[in-house]
Amino acid sequence: MVVNAENVRRQYGEAVALSGVSLSISAGEIFALIGPNGAGKTTLIRALTGTTDAEGEVSLFGRPPTDVARHRIGLLPQEFAPAERLTARELIAYYAGLYDDARDPDSVLEDVGLTDSATTHYEDLSGGQKRRACVGTALVNDPELLVLDEPTTGIDPAGRRDLWRLIEALADGGTTVLLTTHYMAEAETLADRVGLLAAGELVAIDSPAALIARHGGDSRLVIEADDETRAEAALEAAGYERLPDARYVAVAAGPREIPAVVDALTDADVAYDGLAWRQPTLEDVYVALTGTDVSTGGEA
Amino acid sequence: MSRPRRIGAEATAAWHAFVRRRTAVFFTFFFPVIIVFIFGVLVRTDPAGGGLFAEPPGYYVAGYLAVVVLFTPLSRVGSEVARHRAGNRFEKLATTPLTRAEWLFAQTLVNVVVIGLASFLILVSVVLSTGAAFVASPLAVAYVALGVALFCGFGALLGRLADSQDGVIAASNGVALPLLFLSETFVPPDMLPAWFVPLIELSPLTYFARGLRAATYDPSTPAASTARAGLVGADPIANLVVLAALSVGFFVAGAYALPRTD
Repeated sequence: MVVNAENVRRQYGEAVALSGVSLSISAGEIFALIGPNGAGKTTLIRALTGTTDAEGEVSLFGRPPTDVARHRIGLLPQEFAPAERLTARELIAYYAGLYDDARDPDSVLEDVGLTDSATTHYEDLSGGQKRRACVGTALVNDPELLVLDEPTTGIDPAGRRDLWRLIEALADGGTTVLLTTHYMAEAETLADRVGLLAAGELVAIDSPAALIARHGGDSRLVIEADDETRAEAALEAAGYERLPDARYVAVAAGPREIPAVVDALTDADVAYDGLAWRQPTLEDVYVALTGTDVSTGGEA
Repeated sequence: MSRPRRIGAEATAAWHAFVRRRTAVFFTFFFPVIIVFIFGVLVRTDPAGGGLFAEPPGYYVAGYLAVVVLFTPLSRVGSEVARHRAGNRFEKLATTPLTRAEWLFAQTLVNVVVIGLASFLILVSVVLSTGAAFVASPLAVAYVALGVALFCGFGALLGRLADSQDGVIAASNGVALPLLFLSETFVPPDMLPAWFVPLIELSPLTYFARGLRAATYDPSTPAASTARAGLVGADPIANLVVLAALSVGFFVAGAYALPRTD
């Protein structure tokens, strides 16, 4: 195992940030921690990298995190803000200079798509470019374990997909990747396994497909109704029970049932802006397991 | 080879980060020139009369250098620690081979260069504006370097204790101002109440100012106030040894205080 954690606990005063978290991650695996803000993702990352004092057992490559040779780990902390008056190349070269055997900064810039912005000061990069430069700082030592705390926050969709491809390529090359995200689609697309964190507890760990099959529920029709109460009543009268969904009215139904649902809404004179059929996602799993909408952290 | 490479990388990044903050550069060099202008030109030294600036011009050379040796590293390193904390940079560095002592040493190197240049500017300004005479002693270089290291360590401690960059600036001003005027820099001990004079020995800046003055005061000019006998007298080497010991102590404490976890 590259990462092994047993019963990790961390409190800040009276507030419990981690409550007995256990997990293990194998070599070459992409493992995503998902959960809303305040779920404990960053605290768990810090506990696993030895940058916070937590109770319980944590090991990286079979050793305590602080005893592991530093060149084996690459970390992108959450809300990382490096020196603003360095160019992108200088920033990468700075972190490369901290290792004996580092990658060529230009190849790192190429990996994160910043070759054309190599001489631009960090403060003048766009939000997405800044985040990509920060990801680059975690790649300079060609780490065996890459730890990325919300790597794609602030990156545009195209840049996010580029970064996904990079992470997948690194994992294909044998790098173990531990990342946190609150983008469910990112975890679903990228991760071999995901861990769902809620209020400091790891409520489930498995592959996205297995979690969805086990906890995601039925396929559903999602209705963006102007008046959700009336829509819910109309659908209930037609025999459809509302599923837990944070934002819209959703009922368990297949695509063949769309006409019946439309009729029920029309008969009750319920206006709606959209109606879509979709299969369950990790977000549904999260809502089912925690009663919480991961995108807002609010109650479903 | 690893350690010099790491320190070199950190110092290079710190140097670039500093020289590209134009306001910081401007005031780092402008501040001491203002001090010289106010004290040396406007207030004016008056050896024949009484008052605050009654010593020969050469007496105040150590005081002017103390301004930059004290203020600049204290606020710069303190602010840098606050910036690193706010940007989670220490969390990142904790997973690299760079140690806390190496980080602080690199910051100290940059400060020694910056304050060395500022000190040279001060000396030129003092000579041109007040006609002060002094001996160009090589010990002055050692005094400046050790003084900078001491207050870099002190700045790291302030950076650890303060909860923000604003807090660091306020704390460094609160610490530096009393030290500046109560450490045999501009105010001779005989102008202070007798009960306070022994407390001068508690200020690390006293050994900087007293020793530097002893090393650089031109004996051919009128005699200045005699320094207090103090713990080690006015011997430049003895004061340098005390300053060195204090520098090591503050550097180690500052390096240890640097945050590596949340």
